[in-house]
Amino acid sequence: MDGGEPGLKNRNNMQKIDKVKRDKALELLKSGSDSKLLTHLNACVRCGLCAGSCMFYIAHKQSKFIPAKKVDLVSSVYRRYCTSMGKIAPALVNAKDLDDSMAEEMVDLLFGSCTMCGRCVKHCSIGVDIAYIVRKGREMLSAMDMVPASLQATVDSALRTGNNMAIPTEEFVDTIKWMEEELIDEMGDNNARIPLDEPHKNVFYTLNPREPKFFPLSISAIAKIFYAAGENWTISSRFYDVTNYGFFNGNKEQATVIARNLYDEIHKLRGNVLVLGECGHGTRANRWEGPNYLQKSYDFDMTTAVELIADYIRQGRIKLDKTLNKELVTIHDPCNLVRNGGLLEEIRFVVKSAADNFTEMNPHGNENYCCGGGGGMLAMSEYNDRRLKIGEIKANQIRATGAKVVITPCHNCVDQLSQLNHTYKLGIKIKTIAELVADALVIEK
Amino acid sequence: MCWYHWIAITSLIFSVALFSYQFARLVIPGRPDDLSVSSGSVTKGVVYSFTKAMAPGAKESAYLHMPTYAGGIIYHLGTFLSLVLFFVLLAGFPSLNNPLRTIFSVLLFISFFAGFAILIKRIINKDLKSLSGLDDYISNVVTSLVQLFTAIYLLVPGAEILYYLSVALFFIWLPLGKTKHLLFFFFARYHLGFFYGWRGTWPQKSE
Repeated sequence: MDGGEPGLKNRNNMQKIDKVKRDKALELLKSGSDSKLLTHLNACVRCGLCAGSCMFYIAHKQSKFIPAKKVDLVSSVYRRYCTSMGKIAPALVNAKDLDDSMAEEMVDLLFGSCTMCGRCVKHCSIGVDIAYIVRKGREMLSAMDMVPASLQATVDSALRTGNNMAIPTEEFVDTIKWMEEELIDEMGDNNARIPLDEPHKNVFYTLNPREPKFFPLSISAIAKIFYAAGENWTISSRFYDVTNYGFFNGNKEQATVIARNLYDEIHKLRGNVLVLGECGHGTRANRWEGPNYLQKSYDFDMTTAVELIADYIRQGRIKLDKTLNKELVTIHDPCNLVRNGGLLEEIRFVVKSAADNFTEMNPHGNENYCCGGGGGMLAMSEYNDRRLKIGEIKANQIRATGAKVVITPCHNCVDQLSQLNHTYKLGIKIKTIAELVADALVIEK
Repeated sequence: MCWYHWIAITSLIFSVALFSYQFARLVIPGRPDDLSVSSGSVTKGVVYSFTKAMAPGAKESAYLHMPTYAGGIIYHLGTFLSLVLFFVLLAGFPSLNNPLRTIFSVLLFISFFAGFAILIKRIINKDLKSLSGLDDYISNVVTSLVQLFTAIYLLVPGAEILYYLSVALFFIWLPLGKTKHLLFFFFARYHLGFFYGWRGTWPQKSE
């Protein structure tokens, strides 16, 4: 874990930027009608006070990891090609050419050194949306075919197969059937089902492909909750993937195709409510970005598993005995659900309803540190060392709470926390919200 | 009016014209389009963005760096005071008597030194230096010089030409360098308030 420059490992694989590619990238900065883009490209004063809010800088103590540096990569190119001063006297206004060297630096810092968690945004002295500019930089790199191969492979899998882990439909169906049998046994009720591809259901539920692949018990957990609530629900066997790595690779066309998969599938099955499974970026990509990708308002309701479970509790549709969860639990707040999604209170309401013994991390909520696996970092194996190094901050936070269980409503975070648990020998259990609630369920027969 | 007055006024007109153009580009597109269903209030988010979210206790950029933050606040207050005094001095405002001149001068010397300290920090701090280019140094110097020469001119009328030339330089650079955050700061706070307000993150309800 040396915090070196793994992005540069790609150097030999990188195609040189030609004029056509550069023009495509620069076109993304030239939208004269985008007030938000214009604002954030021009607002940074490079005070550097954002450094202490960034996990990469805190963990590595290298100047290049300062968030303002990442903004400057994009804004210096903007100034060079899109402002009069940048064209006439570039040195005076810190304007820089978009050449091979700049593009390589952008790959290393915008893909390999930022989870787009937005912690620096909240703490910026001006209010620059740094994560937004990083995303714009990723779009530029995508336009120049410079997305790290590992991340692009994840997107390609989703485009090719309908899920980012390329799980064959037969394998997925087998897993669901196996979980259904387990559920029927546990509930002692043949009506305890995991319905697949059933039309006209109230809830159209989605999953992170990590669930059928690695964590099938989390599918059982949500199924148990639906059973207890008497919910009318289904999962699609083809398009169940809530994730959208097109949000991370900067390719809006690909992100749109992936978002449309869910949009079309809920229409095909005539579901009422699209319930986004426990996935931070998946929620963000569908709930907040999806309608903008597709350029239309959705004609169905959309909510998250967290909010749905919270509603069940409030409405008395499920009963919980929190003494069934006696161990000390803490919450890891997924950045895309809390700081960038507004679910701070809902998550706490559910966890406090289901656990007897709860403590907060410091800091937490909107101030939380990313687990280190966001922004597509988990998919980009070339940055594994960096990812685990920045994760030490989260590991230390968890250790300081003394908690035995960490709850997080995001399978991406679950994966990173599991690796941190192993690397830093935390000796904790990591659960999703559904798993915690399922363990506290009082099933009335 | 003398030639240096006209230079300063011309520079001011240049500055206002350029800022007006930039303001129009920011305002004409209107409210950001977002087709998702909001779970909060943009109005409340924007208000929060300009109020509680700006409190020193709400931002690590403030409470983890109190000396720099305090220096920055003083420096900015000095800049605004200099701007106000430019119009007062240009108009020959009669009530600007000697005691007031002395008070303003002392305040501006303090703010000048705050700006100078920020400049020194930028030069000697490894991280900050790596972020910096000519724009960062020019912006600091032209802004600091205005404060210094305003402070001097308030006490020494003979410094009039230097004062107006420093003001002219400041007005020319203001919309060109990073000093243009005079305008973009407000739009950044607006867009941030919109983003967090739309999603129900701001205003923060608990904690």
